[in-house]
Amino acid sequence: MIKTFNLSKTFQDKKRGEIRAVDKANLECQPGKIFGFLGLNGAGKTTLMRLLSTVLKPTSGTAKINGFDILSEPQKVRANIGFLSSDTALYPRLTAQETVAYFARLNGLDEDLIRKRTDELFKVFDMESFRDRRVDKLSSGMKQKVSLARTIIHNPKILILDEPTLGLDVITSRNIIQFIRKAKEEDKCVLFSTHIMYEAEKLCDEIAVIHQGKILAVGTLEKLRDTIGLKNLDEIFVKLVGEEHEF
Amino acid sequence: MNSKKVKIIYFKEVKDMLRDRRTLISMILVPILLFPILMFGMSSLMIKMTKQAAKRVNPIVVIGGDNAPALFSQLKMDKSFEIVPESDYQAALKDKKITAALEFSTDFEKKIDAGNSAQIKIYYDAAEIRSEMASGKLDNLFKAFQDSVVTERLKVKKVDRSLLHPVKVQKENLAPKEKMGGFFLAMFLPYMIMIMALTGAMYPAIDLTAGEKERGTMETLLVSPASRGEITSGKFLAVFTASLITSIVSTGSMVITAGSSFTRFEEMGKGAVFSVNPLSILILILLMIPYCCLASSILLSLSLFAKSYKEAQSYLSPLLIVIILPAMVSFLPGFELSARLAFIPVINTSLVLKEVLLGTYHWGFIGLIFLSTTIYASIAIFITRRLFEREQVLFRT
Repeated sequence: MIKTFNLSKTFQDKKRGEIRAVDKANLECQPGKIFGFLGLNGAGKTTLMRLLSTVLKPTSGTAKINGFDILSEPQKVRANIGFLSSDTALYPRLTAQETVAYFARLNGLDEDLIRKRTDELFKVFDMESFRDRRVDKLSSGMKQKVSLARTIIHNPKILILDEPTLGLDVITSRNIIQFIRKAKEEDKCVLFSTHIMYEAEKLCDEIAVIHQGKILAVGTLEKLRDTIGLKNLDEIFVKLVGEEHEF
Repeated sequence: MNSKKVKIIYFKEVKDMLRDRRTLISMILVPILLFPILMFGMSSLMIKMTKQAAKRVNPIVVIGGDNAPALFSQLKMDKSFEIVPESDYQAALKDKKITAALEFSTDFEKKIDAGNSAQIKIYYDAAEIRSEMASGKLDNLFKAFQDSVVTERLKVKKVDRSLLHPVKVQKENLAPKEKMGGFFLAMFLPYMIMIMALTGAMYPAIDLTAGEKERGTMETLLVSPASRGEITSGKFLAVFTASLITSIVSTGSMVITAGSSFTRFEEMGKGAVFSVNPLSILILILLMIPYCCLASSILLSLSLFAKSYKEAQSYLSPLLIVIILPAMVSFLPGFELSARLAFIPVINTSLVLKEVLLGTYHWGFIGLIFLSTTIYASIAIFITRRLFEREQVLFRT
């Protein structure tokens, strides 16, 4: 599971001064649950996820992932998560098979297990036909499949997915949604961010609305509906974030 | 740090590198082709130019030719000169219509015949190579003429010519032919190989850092369980491999080229035959190891700082100049290896490689330079590693 403790990150910007990208975030995400992050562009979703994946270090506060602290045991944290975002691209000159095997090796899997797992995943994602094709020769849908296989090759307990459907066509997006549902069935803890309301409505067990680095509200959709007094998630979101962002 | 993970990253980077056409070109193709093209091309061009210059007819203007009828007619017979009628010799020289102008003083021949001295003026343009060469030829012609006049006058006075040359100076070049060949190589090879070691590693260094940032693969690697130290080590070793391979290929190509083109050397360099001691080559490669380490980690650090391929290239171009200038000391006469110079990176390697190629092995200096470059390289690697740990560098916006 994921638990954060006043997790904060500030950046220094020459023009704008200090920016609080994540401001004392507290959240908890349980196994077998899908936790959704809703926020506008620049709200702090990506920074929060980068903090959890230990790519960035927090300015203050910390988080525990599967019991491992992001500050003191970053390598163990990374071994326990599968991280996917629009910024995690693939090596263009490696083949699909080489890509997945490379990350499997970095995760410490032995060659027998790598063969078994890649065989499984290539079958599940229907990737056999382009197994030995170089990534730069693949379509964006095929690339997304390779990315998914890369993310879960080491069978992580926790998935952190930063806007995984961003810029993808309908079919590929649907595959991702199915993938997230399946992960939930496998009792994985899924944290994913989006700014598409219906995706969050359809998928999430719990939703957090993040704005200017602060978590404004957390809870199940029902709980959010009750507290805000509105039915649609987009209305709830606008109410929380403030109407000045509308035009 | 887990050496197994370093190995995994290293082998992946090398595989990736070998699939990159740009890297293959700069690492293998350029060093293989550059030296034969440079050496064969340059030497045949030089020989051709010298031959052409010898054959070329020089248009000249002669002023007061009537003052020296004998010499004038000799000039007219000479096939390497063509006497042209230009009234304004200065303008003609400026417009390159003529290569030189001559002026015989009044009563030139009469004065000579009377046993006196007379004057010839040669007008030429020292900033024009053809004019300079023509003036040299005229100089030689008149020296021969003067010589014949002197001989004639001495004969009349019944004086032996040897009276004019009480001391005879004879120079003999005792340098073995191998050394003459090695001399050419010792001048060029250190400089060339040090530049090649840098350019061969340049594309991989950019590709593995700024290139990864630009393509978005850096974050994929950073979220894997590999530590920053393991990532830095794997990448560093891959860039170092590229640098060392380029050095070895360059050395091989240059040694083979120089060896096979000795006939050209004979024409150029007084019968020089090329040969180099295998021990020299071995020491050269050994000394290139710390230098390649140093070059690789500087390349990695600078390009890691860049956000994109293009930005990295603009950082690395000035670096090339910073390395090229000190490496050029192998060209300069009078730069000898000293204890102080042995501590200056790049200069030390360039100078010691020159000595080694000439067959001089100052083991103290060789050891000192290997050690000092290794220390510089270690510092550079340490800095690279620290940079890899900085968010501001990895996620610079």
